[in-house]
Amino acid sequence: MRNLWLLLQRNAFALAFIALMSVSLSVLFRNSGAARSSWYRQTGSVASRVEQQRSQWSNYLHLSEQNTELARENALLRSRLLSMEITGDWQVDSLRGWEVREGSLIKGPDGTPHSFALASPGEDGAISPGMGVLASGSAYGTVEDVGEAHCRILTLLHAAARWSCRIGRNGPLASLTWNGKDMERLVLEDVPRHVSAEAGDTIFTSGYDLRFPPGVPMGFVLSTDRPSGSDFVSFEVEPAANFLTTRHIDIIVSRSDSERVELTLPEEFP
Amino acid sequence: MTVLRIILLVVLQALLLRDVAPLGEWTRPQWALWALLLIPPQSGPFGKLLAGFAMGLGLDIAMGTYGQHMVAGTLLGGLLPTLHRVLAPREGYEVTDRPILRDMGSPWMMAYLFLSALVYHLTLLVVSQWYWHLIPSAFLPALTSAIFTALCCLILHLMVYAPARRKSGN
Repeated sequence: MRNLWLLLQRNAFALAFIALMSVSLSVLFRNSGAARSSWYRQTGSVASRVEQQRSQWSNYLHLSEQNTELARENALLRSRLLSMEITGDWQVDSLRGWEVREGSLIKGPDGTPHSFALASPGEDGAISPGMGVLASGSAYGTVEDVGEAHCRILTLLHAAARWSCRIGRNGPLASLTWNGKDMERLVLEDVPRHVSAEAGDTIFTSGYDLRFPPGVPMGFVLSTDRPSGSDFVSFEVEPAANFLTTRHIDIIVSRSDSERVELTLPEEFP
Repeated sequence: MTVLRIILLVVLQALLLRDVAPLGEWTRPQWALWALLLIPPQSGPFGKLLAGFAMGLGLDIAMGTYGQHMVAGTLLGGLLPTLHRVLAPREGYEVTDRPILRDMGSPWMMAYLFLSALVYHLTLLVVSQWYWHLIPSAFLPALTSAIFTALCCLILHLMVYAPARRKSGN
């Protein structure tokens, strides 16, 4: 014990330097997008290899649960199919042009306010920042950064993110956020006071952020808070995606993406 | 005194001297550095390290740069003891020596100001660019800014610690 104390005393300056430098770097990485992105590009492949190994084991251990979930989903789809009557041929809508690419989650959000999810593929799977991510058909997040074989996902469970959505398929627009506390509770903000919603109502993507097509489920209304004297109210929402058990994701890309992005750029005047 | 100097120069740099850069990115001086460089060489290494960190923290808060000056200030504060040791005269520092022109002479002062400014500006360059491919193009502006910072510190120095006038023979 005495030797340890002596060792610490002898290296006190180096330890203080490392501590202060760590504080400075953590402030920098937390607040600078470029720094974080560069750090991720340089260290992401090592971190993701470790996480991939860990998730392989985890996937193996969860196989039976996933099978059960798939069987339940199949049964639900089959029952819906049986009760539907198809009267015409399916038509491809060329204006929509959304395409889904399969991916697997390596690391999910850990419940801290600013955590990210890590998934594969990355650039090797033609994934690029800004693409929407689905989990079991529900909105999960968006690709924020891309490495060679992996991508980092900004999920709905990120306290700094705001998501454009609708209450019901044709309801009013609102913003979905997370307060960084409970992984089972999102908050729907800026809802006009006159809007009526009941517990269980579905929240859908609006499609205005160009990441998701409109009408993708994001969550379900849990409770409505109507403070007196305010023009806007907020609703508690349960996320439709399960952030704790999700292993497989779908990354969606708009085939007419370049045109949309070009049209949303600010106009340049001579 | 050092604390007051750091606060004063951080406030001055953030409020008044922030945009004083005659040739844009080629000459972007860090005025607050002068307060850090006035710490006597004989003082303890922890004081220098903490002063560097505090100066960076102050600059980041005042200028909204989120950690860039903290990293550069901490690195310079951590390197100051080594820099003082490397530049020490053969017989060592006197107890009363201060890092000013009158006590240390102009070659020591020039080398000290330039090397410190170079460390600070190169660190700022790395933490503001981050991507390796962007760093070579920003290296020259960092070098010229370091020279300009050293000159600015020297001017401040001459204004505050004016060299003693020689008495005339009559």
